[in-house]
Amino acid sequence: MIDVGSFFILGILLFSIGIVGMISRRNIFVMYMSVELMLNAINLILVALSHHYEDLNAQVMAIMIIAIAAAEASIFLALFVMLFKNARSLDANFFELLKQEKHHD
Amino acid sequence: MIYFKQPISSALSFIVTLLSIAGLFALLGGSFLFLVQIIIYAGAVVTLILFIIMFLNIKEENLPHEPYKAKWVLLMSLLVSPFALMLISTVNTINFAPLHLQNFGSIKAVGMTLFNQWIFPFEMISILLLIALIGVVILAKKEEGHD
Repeated sequence: MIDVGSFFILGILLFSIGIVGMISRRNIFVMYMSVELMLNAINLILVALSHHYEDLNAQVMAIMIIAIAAAEASIFLALFVMLFKNARSLDANFFELLKQEKHHD
Repeated sequence: MIYFKQPISSALSFIVTLLSIAGLFALLGGSFLFLVQIIIYAGAVVTLILFIIMFLNIKEENLPHEPYKAKWVLLMSLLVSPFALMLISTVNTINFAPLHLQNFGSIKAVGMTLFNQWIFPFEMISILLLIALIGVVILAKKEEGHD
Protein backbone atom coordinates (compact mmCIF):
# COMPACT_ATOMS: atom_id res chain seq x y z
CA MET A 1 0.00 0.00 0.00
CA ILE A 2 1.35 3.36 -1.01
CA ASP A 3 1.18 6.07 1.64
CA VAL A 4 2.40 9.65 1.73
CA GLY A 5 5.64 8.58 3.46
CA SER A 6 6.94 6.89 0.32
CA PHE A 7 6.72 10.22 -1.51
CA PHE A 8 8.83 11.73 1.28
CA ILE A 9 11.42 8.99 0.84
CA LEU A 10 11.52 9.56 -2.93
CA GLY A 11 11.96 13.29 -2.33
CA ILE A 12 14.85 12.70 0.07
CA LEU A 13 16.55 10.34 -2.40
CA LEU A 14 16.16 12.83 -5.27
CA PHE A 15 17.59 15.62 -3.10
CA SER A 16 20.60 13.45 -2.20
CA ILE A 17 21.23 12.63 -5.87
CA GLY A 18 21.10 16.37 -6.58
CA ILE A 19 23.69 17.11 -3.88
CA VAL A 20 26.00 14.37 -5.18
CA GLY A 21 25.76 15.66 -8.75
CA MET A 22 26.27 19.27 -7.64
CA ILE A 23 29.46 18.52 -5.72
CA SER A 24 31.14 15.82 -7.74
CA ARG A 25 30.78 17.09 -11.31
CA ARG A 26 32.57 19.92 -13.09
CA ASN A 27 30.41 20.16 -16.19
CA ILE A 28 28.37 23.29 -15.54
CA PHE A 29 25.25 22.00 -17.32
CA VAL A 30 25.12 18.92 -15.10
CA MET A 31 25.61 21.11 -12.01
CA TYR A 32 22.69 23.32 -13.08
CA MET A 33 20.45 20.32 -13.68
CA SER A 34 21.34 18.98 -10.23
CA VAL A 35 20.13 22.24 -8.69
CA GLU A 36 16.87 21.90 -10.60
CA LEU A 37 16.57 18.30 -9.42
CA MET A 38 16.89 19.47 -5.79
CA LEU A 39 14.16 22.09 -6.35
CA ASN A 40 11.93 19.37 -7.79
CA ALA A 41 12.53 17.13 -4.78
CA ILE A 42 11.43 19.98 -2.50
CA ASN A 43 8.34 20.49 -4.66
CA LEU A 44 7.47 16.81 -4.38
CA ILE A 45 7.77 16.93 -0.58
CA LEU A 46 5.63 20.10 -0.45
CA VAL A 47 2.87 18.51 -2.53
CA ALA A 48 2.99 15.36 -0.38
CA LEU A 49 2.60 17.57 2.73
CA SER A 50 -0.31 19.37 1.09
CA HIS A 51 -1.98 16.02 0.45
CA HIS A 52 -1.33 14.89 4.01
CA TYR A 53 -2.77 17.95 5.70
CA GLU A 54 -5.35 18.65 2.97
CA ASP A 55 -4.12 22.22 2.83
CA LEU A 56 -3.57 23.99 -0.47
CA ASN A 57 -1.02 26.55 0.79
CA ALA A 58 1.84 24.11 0.18
CA GLN A 59 0.80 23.68 -3.44
CA VAL A 60 0.83 27.45 -3.93
CA MET A 61 4.34 27.49 -2.42
CA ALA A 62 5.38 24.88 -4.98
CA ILE A 63 4.02 27.12 -7.76
CA MET A 64 6.15 29.99 -6.38
CA ILE A 65 9.22 27.72 -6.41
CA ILE A 66 8.56 26.80 -10.05
CA ALA A 67 8.30 30.50 -10.98
CA ILE A 68 11.59 31.26 -9.21
CA ALA A 69 13.23 28.30 -10.97
CA ALA A 70 12.10 29.67 -14.33
CA ALA A 71 13.67 33.07 -13.54
CA GLU A 72 16.82 31.28 -12.41
CA ALA A 73 16.98 29.22 -15.60
CA SER A 74 17.10 32.30 -17.82
CA ILE A 75 19.98 33.88 -15.88
CA PHE A 76 21.89 30.59 -15.70
CA LEU A 77 21.65 30.02 -19.43
CA ALA A 78 22.78 33.58 -20.22
CA LEU A 79 25.78 32.94 -17.95
CA PHE A 80 26.52 29.66 -19.77
CA VAL A 81 26.55 31.41 -23.15
CA MET A 82 28.91 34.08 -21.77
CA LEU A 83 31.17 31.45 -20.21
CA PHE A 84 31.33 29.46 -23.42
CA LYS A 85 32.11 32.53 -25.52
CA ASN A 86 34.90 33.60 -23.18
CA ALA A 87 36.48 30.26 -22.27
CA ARG A 88 35.38 27.84 -25.04
CA SER A 89 34.71 25.32 -22.29
CA LEU A 90 31.95 24.10 -20.01
CA ASP A 91 34.32 23.73 -17.09
CA ALA A 92 33.09 25.31 -13.84
CA ASN A 93 36.72 25.79 -12.81
CA PHE A 94 36.85 28.79 -15.18
CA PHE A 95 35.25 30.80 -12.39
CA GLU A 96 38.41 30.21 -10.36
CA LEU A 97 39.91 33.29 -11.97
CA LEU A 98 38.19 35.37 -9.32
CA LYS A 99 40.51 33.70 -6.79
CA GLN A 100 43.07 35.93 -5.14
CA GLU A 101 46.51 35.64 -6.76
CA LYS A 102 49.55 34.82 -4.68
CA HIS A 103 52.20 37.52 -4.35
CA HIS A 104 55.56 36.68 -5.88
CA ASP A 105 57.95 38.88 -3.94
CA MET B 1 21.46 11.70 -15.02
CA ILE B 2 24.44 13.02 -13.06
CA TYR B 3 26.93 10.56 -14.55
CA PHE B 4 26.65 11.14 -18.31
CA LYS B 5 29.63 12.74 -20.02
CA GLN B 6 27.59 14.51 -22.69
CA PRO B 7 25.24 17.21 -21.30
CA ILE B 8 22.61 16.35 -23.91
CA SER B 9 22.16 12.83 -22.49
CA SER B 10 21.78 14.39 -19.04
CA ALA B 11 19.15 16.80 -20.35
CA LEU B 12 17.13 14.04 -22.02
CA SER B 13 17.11 11.91 -18.87
CA PHE B 14 16.20 15.05 -16.90
CA ILE B 15 13.07 15.38 -19.05
CA VAL B 16 12.12 11.80 -18.15
CA THR B 17 12.62 12.57 -14.44
CA LEU B 18 10.49 15.73 -14.66
CA LEU B 19 7.65 13.94 -16.42
CA SER B 20 7.67 11.19 -13.77
CA ILE B 21 7.52 13.81 -11.03
CA ALA B 22 4.60 15.43 -12.87
CA GLY B 23 2.79 12.08 -12.77
CA LEU B 24 3.41 11.86 -9.03
CA PHE B 25 1.94 15.37 -8.63
CA ALA B 26 -1.20 14.20 -10.41
CA LEU B 27 -1.35 11.17 -8.13
CA LEU B 28 -1.13 13.45 -5.06
CA GLY B 29 -4.03 15.61 -6.20
CA GLY B 30 -2.09 18.56 -7.57
CA SER B 31 -3.76 18.86 -10.94
CA PHE B 32 -2.64 22.45 -11.50
CA LEU B 33 0.94 21.62 -10.52
CA PHE B 34 0.86 18.68 -12.92
CA LEU B 35 0.03 21.03 -15.80
CA VAL B 36 2.54 23.66 -14.68
CA GLN B 37 5.28 21.06 -14.31
CA ILE B 38 4.75 19.76 -17.85
CA ILE B 39 4.29 23.17 -19.49
CA ILE B 40 6.96 25.20 -17.68
CA TYR B 41 9.60 22.64 -16.72
CA ALA B 42 9.47 20.04 -19.47
CA GLY B 43 8.16 22.50 -22.02
CA ALA B 44 10.15 25.67 -21.40
CA VAL B 45 13.13 25.14 -19.11
CA VAL B 46 14.47 21.86 -20.51
CA THR B 47 13.73 22.92 -24.07
CA LEU B 48 15.77 26.06 -23.37
CA ILE B 49 18.60 23.89 -22.01
CA LEU B 50 18.52 21.66 -25.10
CA PHE B 51 18.41 24.71 -27.35
CA ILE B 52 21.47 26.24 -25.64
CA ILE B 53 23.35 22.93 -25.78
CA MET B 54 22.73 22.65 -29.52
CA PHE B 55 23.37 26.38 -30.06
CA LEU B 56 26.79 26.19 -28.41
CA ASN B 57 27.84 23.29 -30.68
CA ILE B 58 29.83 21.52 -27.97
CA LYS B 59 32.69 19.35 -29.16
CA GLU B 60 34.64 16.73 -27.27
CA GLU B 61 37.49 19.12 -26.41
CA ASN B 62 35.11 21.70 -24.92
CA LEU B 63 33.96 19.31 -22.22
CA PRO B 64 35.78 19.51 -18.90
CA HIS B 65 38.39 16.87 -18.28
CA GLU B 66 37.20 14.80 -15.32
CA PRO B 67 39.58 11.90 -14.70
CA TYR B 68 38.34 11.10 -11.19
CA LYS B 69 34.60 11.40 -11.87
CA ALA B 70 33.67 7.87 -10.75
CA LYS B 71 35.71 8.19 -7.55
CA TRP B 72 34.13 11.58 -6.74
CA VAL B 73 30.60 10.32 -7.32
CA LEU B 74 31.23 7.22 -5.18
CA LEU B 75 32.85 9.22 -2.38
CA MET B 76 30.09 11.82 -2.29
CA SER B 77 27.41 9.11 -2.31
CA LEU B 78 29.09 7.50 0.68
CA LEU B 79 29.20 10.90 2.41
CA VAL B 80 25.60 11.87 1.69
CA SER B 81 23.93 8.47 2.23
CA PRO B 82 24.10 8.51 6.10
CA PHE B 83 22.15 11.77 6.19
CA ALA B 84 19.60 10.45 3.70
CA LEU B 85 19.21 7.23 5.70
CA MET B 86 18.77 9.24 8.90
CA LEU B 87 16.03 11.34 7.30
CA ILE B 88 14.32 8.25 5.87
CA SER B 89 14.29 6.52 9.26
CA THR B 90 12.84 9.68 10.78
CA VAL B 91 10.09 9.75 8.18
CA ASN B 92 9.36 6.07 8.79
CA THR B 93 8.49 6.76 12.43
CA ILE B 94 5.58 8.99 11.39
CA ASN B 95 2.26 7.30 10.73
CA PHE B 96 0.97 8.58 7.43
CA ALA B 97 -2.52 7.96 6.20
CA PRO B 98 -2.75 5.92 3.01
CA LEU B 99 -3.42 7.73 -0.23
CA HIS B 100 -7.00 8.89 -0.52
CA LEU B 101 -8.22 9.73 -4.00
CA GLN B 102 -11.07 12.12 -3.48
CA ASN B 103 -11.89 15.48 -4.96
CA PHE B 104 -9.00 17.51 -3.57
CA GLY B 105 -6.76 20.11 -5.13
CA SER B 106 -8.98 21.29 -7.94
CA ILE B 107 -7.67 24.15 -10.05
CA LYS B 108 -10.38 26.49 -8.75
CA ALA B 109 -9.40 25.91 -5.12
CA VAL B 110 -5.71 26.48 -5.91
CA GLY B 111 -6.59 29.71 -7.69
CA MET B 112 -8.68 30.92 -4.76
CA THR B 113 -5.80 30.23 -2.35
CA LEU B 114 -3.30 31.90 -4.67
CA PHE B 115 -5.29 35.10 -5.09
CA ASN B 116 -6.57 35.36 -1.51
CA GLN B 117 -3.73 34.45 0.84
CA TRP B 118 -0.75 34.67 -1.54
CA ILE B 119 -1.48 37.82 -3.50
CA PHE B 120 1.57 39.77 -2.23
CA PRO B 121 4.14 36.98 -2.94
CA PHE B 122 2.49 36.64 -6.36
CA GLU B 123 3.21 40.29 -7.16
CA MET B 124 6.74 39.91 -5.81
CA ILE B 125 7.27 36.96 -8.19
CA SER B 126 6.28 39.14 -11.12
CA ILE B 127 8.81 41.79 -10.07
CA LEU B 128 11.46 39.05 -9.70
CA LEU B 129 10.76 37.83 -13.23
CA LEU B 130 11.08 41.41 -14.52
CA ILE B 131 14.44 41.78 -12.73
CA ALA B 132 15.65 38.49 -14.23
CA LEU B 133 14.60 39.66 -17.70
CA ILE B 134 16.52 42.93 -17.34
CA GLY B 135 19.56 41.08 -15.98
CA VAL B 136 19.63 38.69 -18.93
CA VAL B 137 19.36 41.55 -21.41
CA ILE B 138 22.26 43.37 -19.73
CA LEU B 139 24.40 40.19 -19.67
CA ALA B 140 23.77 39.56 -23.36
CA LYS B 141 24.42 43.19 -24.31
CA LYS B 142 27.74 43.44 -22.47
CA GLU B 143 29.24 40.51 -24.32
CA GLU B 144 28.25 42.07 -27.64
CA GLY B 145 30.04 45.26 -26.68
CA HIS B 146 33.28 43.36 -26.00
CA ASP B 147 33.46 41.74 -29.44
